[in-house]
Amino acid sequence: MSTDHTGRAESLPSVPSIDDPRPHPPLTEHFNTGTATDPDVGARETSSLTVDGEEVSVGEEATIIDALGEVGADEELSALCYYDREDTDRIGPRSECRTCMVETDEHGLVPSCSHPAEDGMAVRTDSTEAEEARSVNLDLVLSDHNLRCTTCGKNGRCELQDAAIEADVEVPRYGVFDDRDEYEPIDESSPFIQIDRNKCILCNRCVEACNDVQVEGVLRIEGSGPDTRIGFQNGADEMMDSTCVSCGHCATVCPTGSLVEQDYTDAATIPVPGFTQENSIGETIGEDYDGQPNPATPMKGNQTYEDDALDGEADDE
Amino acid sequence: MVGTEAATTPAIRVAVGSAEYDRASAVLEAAREAAADVRVVETGPTGAAALAPVMLATADGRTAVHADVSPDRARELVETLDDGELPTDDAHAVVESDEGVPMPETGPLAAGQRRVLARCGWAAPAALDESLAERARDDPDDLREGVAGAGLLGRGRGDGHTDESIAEGWETARESDGEAVVVVNGNESDPAVDGDRLLLESRPAEVLDGALAVAAAVEATDVVVYLNEDDELAARRVREAVESVDAGGTEIDVVAGPDRYIAGEMTMALEAMEGADRLEARLRPPGPSEVGLYGRPTVVHTPRTLAQIRAFVAAPDEFETSAADPGTRLLTVTGDGVAGPATVELATDTALTEAVADGEEYKMACVGGRFGGITRSLDVPASAPALTGARLGTEGGVELFDGATCALEFAGARAKFAREANCGRCVPCREGSKQLVELLRDVYDGQFQPNELRELSRVVAESSTCEFGQAAPRPVTTAIDTFEREIAAHAEGRCPSGVCMETN
Repeated sequence: MSTDHTGRAESLPSVPSIDDPRPHPPLTEHFNTGTATDPDVGARETSSLTVDGEEVSVGEEATIIDALGEVGADEELSALCYYDREDTDRIGPRSECRTCMVETDEHGLVPSCSHPAEDGMAVRTDSTEAEEARSVNLDLVLSDHNLRCTTCGKNGRCELQDAAIEADVEVPRYGVFDDRDEYEPIDESSPFIQIDRNKCILCNRCVEACNDVQVEGVLRIEGSGPDTRIGFQNGADEMMDSTCVSCGHCATVCPTGSLVEQDYTDAATIPVPGFTQENSIGETIGEDYDGQPNPATPMKGNQTYEDDALDGEADDE
Repeated sequence: MVGTEAATTPAIRVAVGSAEYDRASAVLEAAREAAADVRVVETGPTGAAALAPVMLATADGRTAVHADVSPDRARELVETLDDGELPTDDAHAVVESDEGVPMPETGPLAAGQRRVLARCGWAAPAALDESLAERARDDPDDLREGVAGAGLLGRGRGDGHTDESIAEGWETARESDGEAVVVVNGNESDPAVDGDRLLLESRPAEVLDGALAVAAAVEATDVVVYLNEDDELAARRVREAVESVDAGGTEIDVVAGPDRYIAGEMTMALEAMEGADRLEARLRPPGPSEVGLYGRPTVVHTPRTLAQIRAFVAAPDEFETSAADPGTRLLTVTGDGVAGPATVELATDTALTEAVADGEEYKMACVGGRFGGITRSLDVPASAPALTGARLGTEGGVELFDGATCALEFAGARAKFAREANCGRCVPCREGSKQLVELLRDVYDGQFQPNELRELSRVVAESSTCEFGQAAPRPVTTAIDTFEREIAAHAEGRCPSGVCMETN
């Protein structure tokens, strides 16, 4: 349509001027994590339900996976993206991998990590449909994962590898991601943390650790569809240009070898220590790093270590 | 009011919609310049794009429908009516009616019925005969009980209660903590589904009145109308309607989200409205009626749902409340052999064949919009349970395809759309759509694996987070079910439709 004498609309606002009643922390910055504001998915009250016929009671805030845990039925599921740590409730459930699907009489197939436990619910982990869904979804995760375990520093301590072994995956239905032309270069720019997006399963743990636990606001999810990836909130292409403080929490929570502390990138590679994804792929971004110019966090803010007053010159501002 | 005056005064109506905006605006201007005594009314579109620009001339209880009107022709028609004569020469149809857009015996205006469409193309967009919102404010229990008793279902993928009980969603919102919000979800980027846009451009006052009535029923303090960024005409008309309706203290906002398919999904609509820098689906349950816009209980309805609610209150006796899906449904018919998108209204117990003009030949139809189901036959009732039972979609789109369409190529194109357009959040949708495309590609390489395709489709449909992934495999599964031999032939190097082997 063209604009003409009838005086059609100026552009519309995208945010309605209505009240947002939620409490907000007094942040000075707004984080653009790229992720949805999920509702609280835990149960509102305590409930009794059955898991594979066994009766279980769980408390407030519980999701189905908590009930599974009570009877050990969670062993049946990969629940790959689920971050099962009692010391933090700030990470997950992201419920993206869907390898925790269970069957319920009430709602059919549901992701156990993010579905509220309900009183009277009958849950089955062993229905054909649930097993099929978990198996296909695990294979779908593998289909987008660079499965060069022997060149990976997380070999032997990788949650995806563990899940695939526990689920007896021998030949993933959809193969693995192994198209050299489509590899993303490894981000070697940071002296502390390496990012290899070819191994990323988009579980979002690092983004939550960075934003919700450390409150640093560095990492985000960006893009959509097949281009969805971990990026930086300041728009940087590589980690060294981001506002990372190198706290390492992202590497701690990463289930795969996507975010690894630099000293450990070849810690578990076989058969030859040092034969890594980096020299296997051969493509990296980021300058070689030679020496630590700053005691802690060269990347914070807009500073780079070149313009830090490290060489003793007075800051004349 | 326009409808009642028309019985006594000769009138000209010019239907102006976004699809024919420039042409129809020129006709309207010419008609206004030429008019001496007759009234010239700017209306919204009729739903029959093939006839646009449409001009209706009404006098003495008769209405002449003129199609494809030029500004010069418009002047002649107005002058004839000004001379006291109904201009019937070269009319598309002349019908004994002066109440609502008449239904001729043939053509796109002949299909189905016109109940919620009655005043689309007839009344000025901001005109409102009767305020249902006022009635609801006086007696909200009556509206709630009526809608609950009738068992009205939500319409369209963007509704918060698609093919589910509206009344139950209202109860959830009432019982949840916080001040409720009503969202009118008019954001639709599926070119095959135009019912909501038609209502917003033609009957914005009725859509708003319906939303205000729902607001009264659920004690909401705010109504937000959510459109596409591209919907300039709808936005202008909705804003004009906001000026003219009695909101009874309810705040009304008009906002827009991106022109992307995912932006119409109910939770991504909420994300867009909250100013999210990137759109992705929210987990559910709890759904928006419990925790919605800014955490507030949010009733999300499409304009189509609101139109049904109004139609029900206006004439409850016309609703078969024992039916599983009472009322009517709007269906947009597009595709091969269809001159222009036609949005028609069918009672839910009427077969989809009624939506298609006689003699329209097609090899297959995709029913239910972008991720609809493939079928050879439209002999399926328009109700949600019947469509779902036939593995078709309920979005409100019927696309016709002729013999030059290959079922495999079609399924592949829809799978590619799913791969490119999904939000990227959950594995079954993001990775499953990639593998769907790969498995379909394998057919061209000689490997047709229907069981693997069905298995993958099943898991994507059953374990994806939102309606996008839940619906995305439908074109593929229904194409396999309906055209298995045609698809299998590709594995042997042959496209029975003779269209796609070279391009792939």
